[in-house]
Amino acid sequence: MRKAAVPLLLIAVVVESFALLLGGFREHRVVIVTERSGPVPPDPLAGARAALKGSRPVWISGGAVIAPAAAEPVPSPPQARTPAAPVPAGPSATPPAGPSPNTAPGPGSAPAATGATPPSSAPAAPAAPESGPAAGGVLPPGPPAPSGPQPAVDTTALRYFARIGDTRRLEAELARLRALYPNWTPPTDLRAAPPVADPQLDRMWQLYAQGQFGEARKVIADRMQAESGWMPPADLLDRLRVAESRERLINASDAKQYETVVRIAAATPSLLTCSEVDVLWRVGEAFARTKRPARARDDYQYILKNCDKPEERLATMQKAASLLPRADLDALFALERRDPGGAGEFDPVRGDLARASVAAAGKDATLTATASDLAILEGLARTGAAANDPLLLGWYYLVHAEPEKAEQWFRLSRDRQNAAEPSEGLALALVALKRPNDAEAVAYEWRKASDNLRKVYLAAVANLLAEEPPADISQERLARMIAVVAEAHDPAAGQQIGWYARALGQQETAAQWFTTVLSWKPDDEPSAYGLALARQSLGERDAFLAIVRAWSSRSARIAQLLNPVRPKSAPEVAGSPPAAPSAPAPLPPELVVEPRAGAPPQADAYLPARSRLRRGCTTEAPVASLPADLALARGWCLMQLNRPAEAAVAFDRALASAASRTREDAAYGLSLANLRLGLTSRAAVAATEAPMSGSRVTELNAAILAQRATSAFDAGRYVEALLALDQRSRVASEPLDLMTMRGWSYYHLGRWSDAQQVFSAAAAAGYRDAAKGLATVESAMNPRLH
Amino acid sequence: MTSRLLWSRLWLAVALALMSTAGVQAASPAPEPSSPGTITREQWELYRQRFVDRSGRIIDDANKGISHSEGQGFGLLLAYLAGDRSAFMQIWTFTRIELLLRDDGLVAWRWDPDAKPHVTDINDASDGDLLIAYALALAGKNWDNPQFTVAAKDLAGAIGKRLVVERDDRNLLMPGAAGFGEPDRPDGPVVNLSYWVYEALPVMAELAPGTDWEKLSTSGRALLAQARFGPAGLPADWVSARSERLEPAKGFPQQFGYDGLRIPLYLLRAGYADRALLAPFAQVWGGESGRVAVVALSDGQPIENLADPGYQMLAATLACVLDRKPIPTALRVFRPTSYYPSTIHLLALSLVAQRHRECL
Repeated sequence: MRKAAVPLLLIAVVVESFALLLGGFREHRVVIVTERSGPVPPDPLAGARAALKGSRPVWISGGAVIAPAAAEPVPSPPQARTPAAPVPAGPSATPPAGPSPNTAPGPGSAPAATGATPPSSAPAAPAAPESGPAAGGVLPPGPPAPSGPQPAVDTTALRYFARIGDTRRLEAELARLRALYPNWTPPTDLRAAPPVADPQLDRMWQLYAQGQFGEARKVIADRMQAESGWMPPADLLDRLRVAESRERLINASDAKQYETVVRIAAATPSLLTCSEVDVLWRVGEAFARTKRPARARDDYQYILKNCDKPEERLATMQKAASLLPRADLDALFALERRDPGGAGEFDPVRGDLARASVAAAGKDATLTATASDLAILEGLARTGAAANDPLLLGWYYLVHAEPEKAEQWFRLSRDRQNAAEPSEGLALALVALKRPNDAEAVAYEWRKASDNLRKVYLAAVANLLAEEPPADISQERLARMIAVVAEAHDPAAGQQIGWYARALGQQETAAQWFTTVLSWKPDDEPSAYGLALARQSLGERDAFLAIVRAWSSRSARIAQLLNPVRPKSAPEVAGSPPAAPSAPAPLPPELVVEPRAGAPPQADAYLPARSRLRRGCTTEAPVASLPADLALARGWCLMQLNRPAEAAVAFDRALASAASRTREDAAYGLSLANLRLGLTSRAAVAATEAPMSGSRVTELNAAILAQRATSAFDAGRYVEALLALDQRSRVASEPLDLMTMRGWSYYHLGRWSDAQQVFSAAAAAGYRDAAKGLATVESAMNPRLH
Repeated sequence: MTSRLLWSRLWLAVALALMSTAGVQAASPAPEPSSPGTITREQWELYRQRFVDRSGRIIDDANKGISHSEGQGFGLLLAYLAGDRSAFMQIWTFTRIELLLRDDGLVAWRWDPDAKPHVTDINDASDGDLLIAYALALAGKNWDNPQFTVAAKDLAGAIGKRLVVERDDRNLLMPGAAGFGEPDRPDGPVVNLSYWVYEALPVMAELAPGTDWEKLSTSGRALLAQARFGPAGLPADWVSARSERLEPAKGFPQQFGYDGLRIPLYLLRAGYADRALLAPFAQVWGGESGRVAVVALSDGQPIENLADPGYQMLAATLACVLDRKPIPTALRVFRPTSYYPSTIHLLALSLVAQRHRECL
């Protein structure tokens, strides 16, 4: 542990550089005086002091370097005698065992508790020399002998312990002094005849050591008045001043008075040493919290360059990481030490930083984590056993539109700990991956864990039901889904039950569900539309007309049901634009509409009958063998059954027709089928297969662009979504649901005022989702409302 | 140079006041700094042993043993008046290390031995700030301690800058840096007329000439003349100065309470023995001892009679100064009871000892 005296100069230089950082607060330059460069024998303290690196005093002078004067007695460095300077044992800043101004009972805080055994907080810290300059304990004042064979050893504490008979502390003090001064022979007359009999001064040092500064000051003043001409040793006054400053700095720091902290530090540079790393931390924090990150960084840099305790170094880096901008940390990481195995001492901090950055970007799609942070966290997630690291990665990738990766990480987290949060994330990832079936299975178990999970579960249900071709769902599964939807009064999922029933030909059940959803959410246009279609299919003309009349002013497509302008061969399909029944993109839970109160449908109102699905168009000959016009009819028939994949094959066949009219219809049908399949680009290609009437082109383009916008939005690619919406708005007016999607896109891109404008317009038209969006964006714009 | 002139002017005023028997009642005040020795060592020792702990903390024993800047300020002033340099140093050491922490140079007002960190409210209290700055200034000058003087100057500057506010052509003393201003409360600014430590203001003027302390003093007395509420015409402890017509501040007890009690003492100690200004107090205290109370403003009736000799001494002192009534023998002997009335008792005894020995 001992080092030659040489490093002292180096240390001195760094002390200087750090003291300079406080230069703004004092006009003097800081210069370092090498201490006692006297003749042989070398400074007996050098070894010990070198070990206490950084504990050297910083001398202030008017600008000139004060050369060490060999012959002059130079006061020993105050720090060497500071009683048990606080050297926290680790990042947790455990108080040292020895007494110190820091750990001694604070003013007024029950010194009585230890009062019965005064020596318990008496001068000498029974600490080994390397524990800090603290080890000095209480030494008598007066200049030490400049040099000589027998070093000037301060035996005040020794005699004090001997006098009061505290053998344990006496031994500890003897051991300490022997370690400091190997050439020294302890006096033999310790108990017999105390040569320095100044009990009053003894008491002053003792009060100082106990942190009883008020009383120490009083006792000094008392004596100055009682004994004219008596002056307290400069040494004592200096120690008192430094210890008081330290206490005051800590109080100011606790009270968040950071300017005061900086002022005290600037006025007391001897506090800024490795032996006072807690003070250095507080000064760093004070700089950081008063918007002086560069100075805070210098402070931490000073510690990392000069102080050796691994736990203090790590704690320093942790503090810096929590207070400084990321860019300022590079200079600190550069000072990292590595063990022979190559592991860096700050690896834990890197992990924490990676966690923080991935976590932040996992909550905000506009932020991204660096590749290196992702790599660090992925390494930790793989090798560690914690469930939280993979979870952070899951959210990150989900929000950044990489649901495949998200699925992996959520699954890893869930394997380690099956809990609500990874289940929620996994279900969302699966929905994004168009695997709502799996999503439903994952979320079911946890649907009651939180409001969010309930919403995620319902989104999975809505998506599962909206699948095309309709998913084959077991009765049992369906029953549990319906039970949750009914209980939750969730309009989006309820509506999808309606469409699902309709796809299976159960028009009565469909009508019931649409009606129920309208009771939950009276302005739910898609449900009204579904209800109208169901009534029409059921041949309930009066009910059909009633619903159309009630909605025709609010919905163009419902109004249009009265006078279809579609090809004769495909009346109903043409009446139902593809986007309608297809699931509204679920995803971000906040987009899922709140359910409203209303009568829940019977859970058993809907009974699937898969057999009924197999009817009509399917019994006929293979499509390839059909003539073009029959294939066209088959296509529309399959579309009516909501089986767009098969319809697409039929339309494809019909495209081979020589008749331009048939080809046009087939191209139109193929586009619609592809749109329903979610194959937007294929739909676009199909639309070019044959020239079409202007209105059809417009309709198709609008539908294609709407779907493009939707998938981009679902994938979190908001810029693309906006691009598609803009294109679409050039060919068709923007309905309220797409306006709302536009609003959310702006919102996610942080274009809050644009979002606000769009949401306001849609909300003014009575669109509930938009009102919700408006509330969200306004609270985001004005977080204090939260 | 200016300071020496000022001080000589002040001492001249004292001399004039002592010579003229009617001088005390004149409109022009005879402010004078208090002198060491006007509290005896015996009185002070009794106080010190009871209320000052070894760290230099003044313990408010009726208030769960907490400490505050006001107590520290009183402690410093009493130690100075008793000529106890050691205790002064002791109390100042605690005050500086534990309370003189604020970034703006003012003193945190509340310190709780049972809390960690001990400072449980970093706001300041301007009476505490004033008392501390005043005591430091007196000690710095009389004991020739430049350290104290520098500290007093810094604090006085901070008070002037942060707490003295001009409004409606008056200078207000804000009770604290936070929470009492016009933007802070619907009835703000709110002031406490017992925070005007009048005797400190001429000393502040010397320390921090950038602030019009004389105007602050004049405004304080003008506000006091105006703040007469209810049938007894007494000031509320907390007063809203939002409009030129003063009103008791909302959210505080509508009473002439423990704070307001010391107003006459502060006036008298500063030499403002103005009968008209003191009339409501003399009225309610009956010019005799025995009737000091917390008074409800609504009906002018006592809510709580205050039998402690420290409070009784207030009435006796007023009767002494205005009507030359002797101080009752029982009140001439100081016996510590609890922090606040005992502090008042000593300050009143010091006043009588310095300027009204005829009442003893």
